[in-house]
Amino acid sequence: MGEERHKDKIVVSNNTRFLSDVRNFISKMVGVSHIPSTEVNKVVLAVDEAVTNIMEHAYGVNEEGTIEIEVEVDLRQFRVYVRDSGKSFNPDEIKDVDMREHVKIGSKKGLGIFLMRQIMDEVRYQFKEGISNELLLVKYIPHGAE
Amino acid sequence: MPSFQITRENLQNGAKLLTLKGFLDAHTYEELENEVNMLFDAKTYKIVFDLSSLDYISSAGAGVFIGAIGTAQENDGNVILMRPSPNVKEVFDLLGLSQIFTFVDSKEAAVKALAD
Repeated sequence: MGEERHKDKIVVSNNTRFLSDVRNFISKMVGVSHIPSTEVNKVVLAVDEAVTNIMEHAYGVNEEGTIEIEVEVDLRQFRVYVRDSGKSFNPDEIKDVDMREHVKIGSKKGLGIFLMRQIMDEVRYQFKEGISNELLLVKYIPHGAE
Repeated sequence: MPSFQITRENLQNGAKLLTLKGFLDAHTYEELENEVNMLFDAKTYKIVFDLSSLDYISSAGAGVFIGAIGTAQENDGNVILMRPSPNVKEVFDLLGLSQIFTFVDSKEAAVKALAD
Protein backbone atom coordinates (compact mmCIF):
# COMPACT_ATOMS: atom_id res chain seq x y z
CA MET A 1 0.00 0.00 0.00
CA GLY A 2 1.46 3.37 -1.00
CA GLU A 3 1.67 6.16 1.55
CA GLU A 4 -1.02 8.69 0.82
CA ARG A 5 -0.42 12.16 2.28
CA HIS A 6 -2.22 15.47 2.05
CA LYS A 7 -1.41 18.76 3.70
CA ASP A 8 -3.11 22.15 3.51
CA LYS A 9 -3.90 25.12 5.71
CA ILE A 10 -6.21 28.08 6.11
CA VAL A 11 -5.70 31.30 8.04
CA VAL A 12 -8.72 33.17 9.38
CA SER A 13 -9.15 36.42 11.27
CA ASN A 14 -10.47 36.54 14.81
CA ASN A 15 -14.15 36.77 13.96
CA THR A 16 -16.78 34.08 14.42
CA ARG A 17 -18.17 34.77 10.95
CA PHE A 18 -15.16 32.86 9.61
CA LEU A 19 -16.14 29.66 11.45
CA SER A 20 -18.07 28.54 8.36
CA ASP A 21 -14.86 28.87 6.30
CA VAL A 22 -13.04 26.72 8.86
CA ARG A 23 -15.78 24.08 8.71
CA ASN A 24 -15.74 24.06 4.90
CA PHE A 25 -11.96 23.65 4.91
CA ILE A 26 -12.07 20.76 7.39
CA SER A 27 -14.89 19.10 5.40
CA LYS A 28 -12.75 19.35 2.27
CA MET A 29 -9.74 17.81 4.02
CA VAL A 30 -11.86 15.06 5.59
CA GLY A 31 -13.03 14.36 2.05
CA VAL A 32 -9.50 13.47 0.92
CA SER A 33 -8.93 11.31 4.01
CA HIS A 34 -10.17 7.83 4.86
CA ILE A 35 -12.14 8.96 7.89
CA PRO A 36 -15.40 6.98 7.98
CA SER A 37 -18.41 9.05 6.88
CA THR A 38 -20.00 8.57 10.31
CA GLU A 39 -17.16 10.62 11.85
CA VAL A 40 -17.13 13.58 9.45
CA ASN A 41 -19.59 15.84 11.31
CA LYS A 42 -17.81 15.14 14.59
CA VAL A 43 -14.32 15.99 13.32
CA VAL A 44 -15.62 19.23 11.78
CA LEU A 45 -17.30 20.01 15.11
CA ALA A 46 -14.13 19.36 17.14
CA VAL A 47 -12.14 21.85 15.03
CA ASP A 48 -14.97 24.40 15.16
CA GLU A 49 -14.86 24.10 18.97
CA ALA A 50 -11.08 24.57 19.04
CA VAL A 51 -11.24 27.70 16.88
CA THR A 52 -14.25 29.06 18.79
CA ASN A 53 -12.34 28.68 22.07
CA ILE A 54 -9.46 30.70 20.66
CA MET A 55 -11.83 33.42 19.46
CA GLU A 56 -13.56 33.55 22.82
CA HIS A 57 -10.64 33.04 25.21
CA ALA A 58 -7.21 33.50 23.62
CA TYR A 59 -8.34 36.65 21.80
CA GLY A 60 -10.91 39.09 23.09
CA VAL A 61 -13.99 40.09 21.13
CA ASN A 62 -13.02 42.51 18.35
CA GLU A 63 -9.31 41.98 19.12
CA GLU A 64 -7.22 41.73 15.99
CA GLY A 65 -5.58 38.39 15.49
CA THR A 66 -5.36 35.42 13.21
CA ILE A 67 -5.77 31.68 13.61
CA GLU A 68 -3.98 29.18 11.41
CA ILE A 69 -5.51 25.75 10.91
CA GLU A 70 -3.20 23.24 9.26
CA VAL A 71 -4.26 19.70 8.41
CA GLU A 72 -2.00 16.75 7.71
CA VAL A 73 -3.61 13.57 6.51
CA ASP A 74 -2.17 10.15 5.91
CA LEU A 75 -3.64 6.68 5.93
CA ARG A 76 -3.48 6.40 9.70
CA GLN A 77 -4.15 9.84 11.12
CA PHE A 78 -6.02 13.08 10.54
CA ARG A 79 -3.96 15.74 12.32
CA VAL A 80 -5.13 19.30 12.84
CA TYR A 81 -2.77 21.99 14.17
CA VAL A 82 -4.57 25.10 15.40
CA ARG A 83 -2.20 28.01 16.01
CA ASP A 84 -2.79 31.46 17.43
CA SER A 85 -0.87 34.24 19.10
CA GLY A 86 -3.45 35.18 21.73
CA LYS A 87 -3.39 34.54 25.46
CA SER A 88 -2.14 31.09 26.44
CA PHE A 89 -4.98 28.70 27.00
CA ASN A 90 -4.32 25.16 28.13
CA PRO A 91 -7.33 22.87 27.74
CA ASP A 92 -5.69 20.37 30.12
CA GLU A 93 -6.57 22.79 32.92
CA ILE A 94 -10.28 22.49 32.12
CA LYS A 95 -12.06 19.65 33.92
CA ASP A 96 -14.68 17.51 32.24
CA VAL A 97 -18.18 18.80 32.72
CA ASP A 98 -20.91 17.32 34.90
CA MET A 99 -23.76 17.91 32.47
CA ARG A 100 -26.61 17.59 34.97
CA GLU A 101 -24.92 20.21 37.16
CA HIS A 102 -24.32 22.42 34.11
CA VAL A 103 -27.98 22.25 33.14
CA LYS A 104 -29.06 22.93 36.73
CA ILE A 105 -27.12 26.19 36.88
CA GLY A 106 -27.39 27.01 33.15
CA SER A 107 -23.61 26.93 32.70
CA LYS A 108 -22.05 26.61 29.26
CA LYS A 109 -18.42 26.53 30.36
CA GLY A 110 -16.09 23.83 29.12
CA LEU A 111 -18.50 22.31 26.61
CA GLY A 112 -16.15 22.83 23.65
CA ILE A 113 -13.19 21.16 25.35
CA PHE A 114 -15.45 18.35 26.50
CA LEU A 115 -16.57 17.75 22.89
CA MET A 116 -13.00 17.87 21.55
CA ARG A 117 -11.97 15.20 24.06
CA GLN A 118 -15.01 13.08 23.26
CA ILE A 119 -14.40 13.20 19.52
CA MET A 120 -10.64 13.25 18.97
CA ASP A 121 -8.15 10.57 19.99
CA GLU A 122 -5.53 13.12 21.03
CA VAL A 123 -5.87 16.73 22.19
CA ARG A 124 -2.46 18.21 22.92
CA TYR A 125 -1.49 21.77 23.71
CA GLN A 126 1.95 23.33 23.31
CA PHE A 127 3.30 26.79 23.87
CA LYS A 128 5.61 27.49 20.94
CA GLU A 129 8.12 30.29 20.74
CA GLY A 130 7.10 32.74 18.02
CA ILE A 131 3.62 31.26 17.55
CA SER A 132 2.36 31.35 21.13
CA ASN A 133 -0.22 28.57 21.17
CA GLU A 134 -0.48 25.38 19.19
CA LEU A 135 -3.26 22.88 19.76
CA LEU A 136 -2.94 19.51 18.07
CA LEU A 137 -6.05 17.45 17.47
CA VAL A 138 -5.58 13.92 16.17
CA LYS A 139 -8.16 11.46 14.88
CA TYR A 140 -6.94 7.94 14.24
CA ILE A 141 -8.21 6.41 11.03
CA PRO A 142 -9.25 2.79 11.47
CA HIS A 143 -7.18 0.38 9.40
CA GLY A 144 -9.11 -0.61 6.31
CA ALA A 145 -11.54 2.35 6.55
CA GLU A 146 -13.07 3.46 3.26
CA MET B 1 -29.02 34.00 2.50
CA PRO B 2 -28.45 34.29 6.26
CA SER B 3 -26.68 31.30 7.77
CA PHE B 4 -29.28 31.00 10.52
CA GLN B 5 -33.00 31.75 10.57
CA ILE B 6 -35.77 31.51 13.16
CA THR B 7 -39.48 31.37 12.39
CA ARG B 8 -42.15 31.60 15.07
CA GLU B 9 -45.55 29.99 15.53
CA ASN B 10 -48.10 29.87 18.32
CA LEU B 11 -49.10 26.49 19.69
CA GLN B 12 -51.90 25.50 22.07
CA ASN B 13 -51.92 26.64 25.69
CA GLY B 14 -49.62 29.61 25.17
CA ALA B 15 -46.70 27.54 23.95
CA LYS B 16 -44.40 28.79 21.19
CA LEU B 17 -42.81 26.87 18.37
CA LEU B 18 -39.49 28.17 17.07
CA THR B 19 -38.32 26.58 13.84
CA LEU B 20 -34.55 26.84 13.40
CA LYS B 21 -32.89 26.68 10.02
CA GLY B 22 -29.22 26.62 9.02
CA PHE B 23 -26.13 26.75 11.20
CA LEU B 24 -26.24 27.38 14.95
CA ASP B 25 -22.71 28.15 16.09
CA ALA B 26 -20.69 30.74 18.03
CA HIS B 27 -21.54 33.28 15.32
CA THR B 28 -25.31 32.82 15.36
CA TYR B 29 -26.25 31.58 18.84
CA GLU B 30 -26.89 35.09 20.22
CA GLU B 31 -29.79 35.52 17.82
CA LEU B 32 -31.45 32.47 19.35
CA GLU B 33 -30.52 33.49 22.88
CA ASN B 34 -32.15 36.90 22.34
CA GLU B 35 -35.26 35.24 20.97
CA VAL B 36 -35.53 32.94 24.00
CA ASN B 37 -34.96 35.85 26.39
CA MET B 38 -37.76 37.79 24.67
CA LEU B 39 -40.09 34.83 25.23
CA PHE B 40 -39.09 34.65 28.90
CA ASP B 41 -39.66 38.42 29.23
CA ALA B 42 -43.16 37.82 27.87
CA LYS B 43 -43.65 35.04 30.48
CA THR B 44 -43.63 32.32 27.84
CA TYR B 45 -41.92 29.31 29.32
CA LYS B 46 -43.30 26.50 27.14
CA ILE B 47 -41.08 26.39 24.08
CA VAL B 48 -40.79 23.83 21.30
CA PHE B 49 -37.82 23.97 18.96
CA ASP B 50 -38.26 22.38 15.54
CA LEU B 51 -34.73 21.27 14.64
CA SER B 52 -35.56 19.40 11.44
CA SER B 53 -34.05 22.14 9.21
CA LEU B 54 -31.07 22.81 11.45
CA ASP B 55 -28.01 21.64 9.52
CA TYR B 56 -25.40 22.08 12.23
CA ILE B 57 -25.01 22.83 15.91
CA SER B 58 -21.88 23.42 18.00
CA SER B 59 -21.61 23.71 21.78
CA ALA B 60 -22.34 27.44 21.57
CA GLY B 61 -25.73 26.58 20.10
CA ALA B 62 -26.38 23.73 22.53
CA GLY B 63 -25.53 26.19 25.31
CA VAL B 64 -28.67 28.19 24.51
CA PHE B 65 -30.84 25.16 25.27
CA ILE B 66 -28.82 24.41 28.42
CA GLY B 67 -29.36 27.99 29.55
CA ALA B 68 -33.07 27.92 28.75
CA ILE B 69 -34.34 24.65 30.19
CA GLY B 70 -33.69 25.54 33.83
CA THR B 71 -35.57 28.86 33.62
CA ALA B 72 -38.40 27.21 31.68
CA GLN B 73 -38.83 24.39 34.20
CA GLU B 74 -38.62 26.72 37.21
CA ASN B 75 -41.63 28.53 35.74
CA ASP B 76 -43.76 25.44 35.09
CA GLY B 77 -42.70 25.28 31.48
CA ASN B 78 -40.26 23.19 29.52
CA VAL B 79 -38.03 23.10 26.46
CA ILE B 80 -38.99 20.41 23.95
CA LEU B 81 -36.81 19.50 20.99
CA MET B 82 -38.49 18.24 17.83
CA ARG B 83 -37.07 16.16 14.98
CA PRO B 84 -33.33 16.88 15.10
CA SER B 85 -31.32 15.63 12.13
CA PRO B 86 -28.89 12.78 12.92
CA ASN B 87 -25.92 15.20 12.92
CA VAL B 88 -27.60 17.55 15.37
CA LYS B 89 -28.89 14.74 17.61
CA GLU B 90 -25.36 13.33 17.69
CA VAL B 91 -24.09 16.53 19.32
CA PHE B 92 -26.76 16.32 22.04
CA ASP B 93 -25.74 12.67 22.54
CA LEU B 94 -22.04 13.56 22.78
CA LEU B 95 -22.78 16.24 25.36
CA GLY B 96 -24.91 13.86 27.42
CA LEU B 97 -27.97 16.06 26.88
CA SER B 98 -30.20 13.45 25.31
CA GLN B 99 -31.19 12.12 28.74
CA ILE B 100 -31.97 15.62 29.97
CA PHE B 101 -34.09 17.03 27.12
CA THR B 102 -37.36 15.62 25.78
CA PHE B 103 -37.27 14.83 22.06
CA VAL B 104 -40.47 14.43 20.04
CA ASP B 105 -41.41 13.71 16.44
CA SER B 106 -44.46 15.96 15.97
CA LYS B 107 -46.16 19.15 17.14
CA GLU B 108 -48.91 17.05 18.69
CA ALA B 109 -46.38 15.08 20.70
CA ALA B 110 -44.68 18.35 21.71
CA VAL B 111 -47.95 19.83 22.98
CA LYS B 112 -48.66 16.62 24.87
CA ALA B 113 -45.16 16.63 26.39
CA LEU B 114 -45.67 20.21 27.57
CA ALA B 115 -48.99 19.25 29.19
CA ASP B 116 -47.48 16.32 31.14
